[in-house]
Amino acid sequence: MRKKIGTIALVVSLILSMTACAPSEKRYEASFLELFDTVTTVVGYAKDEETFTEYTQMIYDYMEEYHQLYDIYHDYEGINNIKTINDNAGILPVKVDQKIIDLLLESKEIEKITNHKMNVAYGAVLKVWHDYRTEGIESPEMAKLPPLEMLREMSEHTNMNEIVINEEESTVFLSDPEMSLDVGAIAKGYATEMTANYIEEQGFENGMISVGGNVRTIGHKVGEGGEALAWNVGIQNPEVESEMTTIHILELQDMSLVTSGVYERYYTVDGKQYHHIIDPSTLLPSEEYQSVSIVCQDSGRADAFSTAVFNMSLEEGKQLIESQKDTEAFWILNDGSFVYSSGFEQFIKE
Amino acid sequence: MIKRNDIILGVVALLVALAFYLFFSLTKSDGSKVEITVQGEVYETLELSQDQSFLITLENGEYNTVVIEDGYVRMSEADCPDKLCVKHNKIHYNHETIVCLPHKVVVEIVNGEANTVDLIAK
Repeated sequence: MRKKIGTIALVVSLILSMTACAPSEKRYEASFLELFDTVTTVVGYAKDEETFTEYTQMIYDYMEEYHQLYDIYHDYEGINNIKTINDNAGILPVKVDQKIIDLLLESKEIEKITNHKMNVAYGAVLKVWHDYRTEGIESPEMAKLPPLEMLREMSEHTNMNEIVINEEESTVFLSDPEMSLDVGAIAKGYATEMTANYIEEQGFENGMISVGGNVRTIGHKVGEGGEALAWNVGIQNPEVESEMTTIHILELQDMSLVTSGVYERYYTVDGKQYHHIIDPSTLLPSEEYQSVSIVCQDSGRADAFSTAVFNMSLEEGKQLIESQKDTEAFWILNDGSFVYSSGFEQFIKE
Repeated sequence: MIKRNDIILGVVALLVALAFYLFFSLTKSDGSKVEITVQGEVYETLELSQDQSFLITLENGEYNTVVIEDGYVRMSEADCPDKLCVKHNKIHYNHETIVCLPHKVVVEIVNGEANTVDLIAK
């Protein structure tokens, strides 16, 4: 009988130890709503909550600087940001932080690679859409489309070459006074990439940063036995009200996944939805896809490519992606069918 | 040679084990909570197992309505301009969130069932 009790006691203590047993590092998650007009989520491992909170704070502080520098709508005391550059278009060169110069140089590079399908000089056109969309969301019964005439007129002021960057003087000047910068297609991703690199250097080895669904994975996930596992990142189902939240789950380590979709930001005019991704060649929302997802290491590139490829025909998009090293894409067409670039399917979790 | 006291001891031990088992299994499956924060402050914590409709009223009178049904949470109504929160899929797994950005309202599952997905790109 004693023996039996011993067995029971052992079972009890085993249940206890299984529950109490924790790996040396625990998984934590934090999010904030203050940056880039969206939700930022940080996932990672740390020995205790305090350590994790320190990392989260470092990420917040670092990213906040980018948030202020890349802002096109607000002024910040003592800071020259993209809005300052826009406000001084045709007037004078603005002295800016190197982070702005770097972003604009990268944007110029991507504009070239993507055959002008991602152009940060489209601010004048995007502003028209932005204003009509904001108005249409606030008073849906009054929602209108911007007149094509107005869009065409604004598109006269979108030449990348009018962005004059003086690296020696650290200045940016828009030589066309009607022109303005809108870095919305790249800024979040670029800032996420820079932040991921920074926090990794600070010893944050395994985690994820998502800025409004622009996901950058760092290192790997830690399994229950301490083993290294890939992060599982889902791709949003464009049918956002569906029971099925994700279309695919990808296994990623040190990679970024960015999806551009019609469901993110849109307004409705006469029963038809008009989303926020504007094709530079038609000046209208591109109507080819429900979403385009890009996987590559650099989150800034993934962000910019997702917009550019969204604005391309399937053929053109495939050609671009296949020409880029370690970059893959996944299209959901309007009829709901899927198209993958040649190496995309290796990331899909079985 | 089994004595009466041995049987009692055995039964007590079994009961203790059962109590532990029940405690852990119950806290595991029924522990899912729905944490609602407004502007970063916890506004209310609800049980995921308890079906209900819950009204969040902001200081300026704006509102969001959260509905818990069959272990899932959704935002059924809100007077925010974009209504993205209302269009959001219903949530169930640990750390899943529904965010109403204009109202700074976050509905999050905490202490919930583990999800196979770590994050969602959108």
